[in-house]
Amino acid sequence: MLQLQLLALLPVVIAALVNTGYQYLAAIARNPALVTDDFRSQIALGLGANHERLGLYDMFAAGFAHFVPVLLVALLVGGFWERIITERRQASIEPGFVLVALLFTLLMPGAAAWVHVVFGMSFAMLLGRGIFGGEGKTFLSPALLGVAIVQVSFPGVADQHPLWSGLAGYAGSDAIALFHRGGDAALSAADINLWTAFIGRTPGTMGTTSVLAVALGAVLLLIERLISWRLLAAQIIGLFVFATIFNILGADTGASAMPAYWHLLLGSFAFGAVFIACDPVASACTNPGRWIQGFLIAALVVLIRVANTTHPDAVIPALLLASIVAPLIDHAVLAWNIRGRARRHV
Amino acid sequence: MLSGLETKYVTRAALLGSDYRGVNFEMLCEVGDEVKVGAAVMRDVRRPQIKFTAPLSGRVASIERGKRRKLISLQIDVDDSMAVASQQPPAGNDGVSLRNFMLESGAWSMLRTRPFGNIPDPDAEPAAVFVTALDAEPLAPEPRSIIETYQQEFNSAVNVLADLSDAPLYVCHAPNHVLGFENSSKIRSVSFAGGYAAGLPGVHINALCPIGFGGGEVWHIGYQDVISLGHLLLHGEPWLQRVISLGGNAVRNPRDLAVYPGSKISELLVNEISEVAPRTLMGSTIYGRESAPGSAFLSARQRQITVFDSTTGEAAGTKASSPGALIPNETLESLILPGIYPVPLMRALQLGDAERARELGALELVEEDVMPLSRACVSSSDYAMLLRDVLDQLESVR
Repeated sequence: MLQLQLLALLPVVIAALVNTGYQYLAAIARNPALVTDDFRSQIALGLGANHERLGLYDMFAAGFAHFVPVLLVALLVGGFWERIITERRQASIEPGFVLVALLFTLLMPGAAAWVHVVFGMSFAMLLGRGIFGGEGKTFLSPALLGVAIVQVSFPGVADQHPLWSGLAGYAGSDAIALFHRGGDAALSAADINLWTAFIGRTPGTMGTTSVLAVALGAVLLLIERLISWRLLAAQIIGLFVFATIFNILGADTGASAMPAYWHLLLGSFAFGAVFIACDPVASACTNPGRWIQGFLIAALVVLIRVANTTHPDAVIPALLLASIVAPLIDHAVLAWNIRGRARRHV
Repeated sequence: MLSGLETKYVTRAALLGSDYRGVNFEMLCEVGDEVKVGAAVMRDVRRPQIKFTAPLSGRVASIERGKRRKLISLQIDVDDSMAVASQQPPAGNDGVSLRNFMLESGAWSMLRTRPFGNIPDPDAEPAAVFVTALDAEPLAPEPRSIIETYQQEFNSAVNVLADLSDAPLYVCHAPNHVLGFENSSKIRSVSFAGGYAAGLPGVHINALCPIGFGGGEVWHIGYQDVISLGHLLLHGEPWLQRVISLGGNAVRNPRDLAVYPGSKISELLVNEISEVAPRTLMGSTIYGRESAPGSAFLSARQRQITVFDSTTGEAAGTKASSPGALIPNETLESLILPGIYPVPLMRALQLGDAERARELGALELVEEDVMPLSRACVSSSDYAMLLRDVLDQLESVR
């Protein structure tokens, strides 16, 4: 099961490497003064990434320089805590922490500070996994919890690094913030159209920009029945429904005017919907509950995007809230089910 | 006689204690006694009217007991005389005399209740009676040809079962198998289709007379037991055959066989298996259970033996990852009766929370209904055993 989940994430990782490198190199091409002597730039240059050529290898190399160090630190921190937790519990190490570290890394911006990675992964492993008894016994996705805690504790994490802020006239973390500010015009000014958004050539956290890569992973997970098609379908249908409602009833500027397809293509909705929300342990475990939770996630994503501009992407808080209420949703579904059983005459 | 079916004889057969849940057996015979077919050999201590009769004639070879003197098996060395202890036909068509006939002839022990899967009390009133006249499990024998061969026996037994109580009797059959019962106020024939579960009594009961918290019960009986009851009614002696199928990839020649009830399985499998250490399932690949050392004989309602070579199936399968944790999965919902949410039920069973399991529908289930969950769940819990524990608790406070 773990192998399949990692395999499903492979296209996402490839897209993350390519797009992170592209964003980095494109930013340097626009403003060469941004090249500093920081660790990641050193690796990128050492690997021969060239912003003038901007070929596939250059993107990979520059992406590698940003992605792999974060992943390595996340794995080290995850493995460290897993070791300590399992030792104290006298259990054997469960390899699931690798998946946690990978998901966590994919949800981090390319220039995440080390302290953020260490802090977030520690919370993911301890609060998200360890205290509940390890793999399969939690009620939240550990990676989601880690990222959420980083976002709350360091509100500026996504724009700490000059590369991810101040570019092209916007300061937000990703393309959604761009739309907030300038609508469709701002998107086309930043060279974002439906195609580039679909393949993931947009600014954002490392692994979440490419809807194409996410879709490939989702197909594998759906075929192997590792995730619930109901939960996924409910999220996507719900996104279109609620976005359209806001388009009709809401204001004419900002996210309430954002068409539903941009909601899906920009930001980390697609990634979150497939890899975080559909975590079988952290979502509703009844079929009606899955539909309800999916619609709830979609409604929260759209609502937070519209109402709260400090969380332009909104996916992390929405998933966190929906995950927390999942047991409540199940409880209501079961209460209804028990009520029906009590009405029988035998 | 069944045409085209090979009959396989054995020299030893048994009545199994595990087929009759909750019964304390009082022996009416001793080791070494000669018994006739249909002669009472045991009865229930708590309900002495309920008798258990010898399935075959011969000498009582051993009475095997386990922990706390619980009966494991009463084994009979079969002789060829097949001397019969004939039964008097029922005195009348009223419920009381029909019940007396079934109790005296041992046929009563073929009925099962839901909830719990017990033999019903002799004076209990069911809310409905179900005759299971289809079998949708993979590689199972086809009931249609068997029922058609014994149509007379089957029909007379169904009429008797309908007269046992005022409750409706449902004959559940496959869509392409017309049984010819007029739908009357008493007897209703209902067809079931769709998947391996379509032949489970639990599914039929769930669809037609679902169990709630009212404290009532329904009865069900399988088609081969119905034929046996009909045989007793028409001929005064029990049916000396059961039809089982022998299948799986370690079986040389998979086919249906006519065998004695309670046959010793190792004798049945002589010259049939192509493997030294096969995996034997009592029942089908979906609802069957792994053969335990104690299950050396055909159980009362068993219709299949499935034998795999040691490399097939779960042995090399998916059970390895993280034992203990229950990972919810959409496929689980399709593996249990409609209207029951499997994951919360599985959690309640794991915790042994009988009250919660009752609320979530445990009373609608017996072991066979949760076998697929045990196979599909990565936690390697035995939900059949957990369910039985919970049902025992629920029954004791009832």
